[in-house]
Amino acid sequence: MTTTSSLERAKASEEPAARPGWTAKRAVLTIALTGLVAIICLVFILPAVWILIGSFRPTQEILSTMSPLSWRIVIPYQLTLDNYTRLLFQTGFSRALLNSALVCVASVVIGLLVSAMAAYSLAVFEFRGRGFVFALIVVSFMVPFEAIAIPLAQQFTSWGLGNTLIGLILPGIGNGLAVFNLRQYFLGIPKSYREAAMLDGASEPRILFFLYLRMSTPALTNSALLIFLSQWTAFLWPLLIISDSKLQLAPVALAGTFGEHSADYGQNFAGTVLLALVPAIGMVILQRFFGQLSLTSGEK
Amino acid sequence: MAEVPVTHVKISSRRPARRGRAGRKLEGLWAAAFLTPALLSLIVLRIAPTVGAVSSSLYKGFPGGIIPATFAGLHNYEFLFSDPQFKATIFRTILFNVVINPLQIGLALAVSVLLVQNIPLVGLWRGLMFVPITIPIVGSCIAWGAALNPQGPVNAFISAVGGSEQPFFTSPDQALASIIMLASWIGIGYWMLFLISGLQAIPEELYDAAKIDRAGPIQTFFYITIPMLKRPLLFVLVADTVANFVLFVPVQMLTQGGPQSSTTLLMFEAYRTTFGYGSRNTGAAQVVLLTVIMLFFVLLQFRLLRQEQEG
Repeated sequence: MTTTSSLERAKASEEPAARPGWTAKRAVLTIALTGLVAIICLVFILPAVWILIGSFRPTQEILSTMSPLSWRIVIPYQLTLDNYTRLLFQTGFSRALLNSALVCVASVVIGLLVSAMAAYSLAVFEFRGRGFVFALIVVSFMVPFEAIAIPLAQQFTSWGLGNTLIGLILPGIGNGLAVFNLRQYFLGIPKSYREAAMLDGASEPRILFFLYLRMSTPALTNSALLIFLSQWTAFLWPLLIISDSKLQLAPVALAGTFGEHSADYGQNFAGTVLLALVPAIGMVILQRFFGQLSLTSGEK
Repeated sequence: MAEVPVTHVKISSRRPARRGRAGRKLEGLWAAAFLTPALLSLIVLRIAPTVGAVSSSLYKGFPGGIIPATFAGLHNYEFLFSDPQFKATIFRTILFNVVINPLQIGLALAVSVLLVQNIPLVGLWRGLMFVPITIPIVGSCIAWGAALNPQGPVNAFISAVGGSEQPFFTSPDQALASIIMLASWIGIGYWMLFLISGLQAIPEELYDAAKIDRAGPIQTFFYITIPMLKRPLLFVLVADTVANFVLFVPVQMLTQGGPQSSTTLLMFEAYRTTFGYGSRNTGAAQVVLLTVIMLFFVLLQFRLLRQEQEG
């Protein structure tokens, strides 16, 4: 459905250009608009380019080319992997990255399981209060986690979950958006499939895991990415419940090295690039899904 | 089906799923069993801390936590509101949000409108605007912390075009504005994603009709684009407001609330009170106030934009 509509859209947007109204005035306008867009994009991209290039330069060179303004700020004299090797092998950052990866994978697996079960229940079974339960789950998980992170961290600590991986994973498993997203997708699967499977004697878990989940790859991918990214970029929560640096996650570990003593920009930038790689890939996949979110709620 | 765990039966027996047939009843059991983990996590991760924060805010605690806290009613709130510094923090937080949310959404809308025009390489431009979002906020803070360093590249640019160098994060007059800039660098591209989809969903016929009626681009924008974009606009405005009320990382990483408390926002203040000063109960009261103020602004936006739609 989305492919056809985007095709139509593409057709529709091509049309005006082909019309006879294409005049010199229009060409000037197009050039001016393109120039404006290019300048805006340049402003937005420059800090990222600076970080990326800087991560391959010695810190001394980053500092000496910062000011006064010259092309040298983004054109390096020498390229080196030194920042990365120092960061990964001489600091605890590789361990922090590993911790982050572990927490993310565990959160995705458990979070998808919990969300898919809830979504299945809310999509296929008809029971009194179904709409209410659905709204309750989605709305309460929409309340920003940061707002309750402080009281929750105190409770986690008193339950002995401070400085544990479980303490890091648990907040990642409840995701209202994942439940919402999976339920919408499940609603689109014809009921007759489930009835047929039941006639064959399949149990509900079997129908969920071998029928519904197999048919829901896009929704599962989006939900998995949502959970993954929220855990990968989490800062406040690990800061609150982890005090043991061996268990710390990558964002907090990276923040800890910034501004400490003299700034080692080269290493900081390398850490930023490493941390940004994973979300960059994930966000490109999620880009389309995000756009649809604000438009269709309840369609399909 | 015989292997239904006993616990599930217990939980679901509360549910009035009897509609005569055994199949219905079994469905009810499964529905409850499948919902249990999600509802449990809801209770543990959301409801318990909310209730905990509210109740904790009503107790008077003693630093160190050796002496048990005693019930004190609204004492913590009275104490907070008698503190001019805290009142300034609330005012600052509200001011910050009143500025940053319309600013981000306005600029995101402007960029989105530009990026749905018929210009060459539009996919490339959209992709470039998207880059800041892919960087985790810790990385963005590093980038802007370094770039806005008084001896950094932004000042180099300013002096190259003939301006005088600025102190940015080191000045009480500019630190909060610098945080707004940093947050908008991420936010504009992010909210743009939603708005571009919204713009693309507006039927082309409406624009054709406007053209036939000889409407200029400004008229078209205000009489077609904006009304048709109401739903995504409300969505991004509310989501942005929520995100900015709990904005924490830049303050924690770059300014620690300073200089001279100029960047002490309520979220950071609640964190510092609870963990820095160890005043759990006062911190809980601050968390409650933060949530109440945030909800107030969210509801206000719903109310205002709904009314506008009706009128």
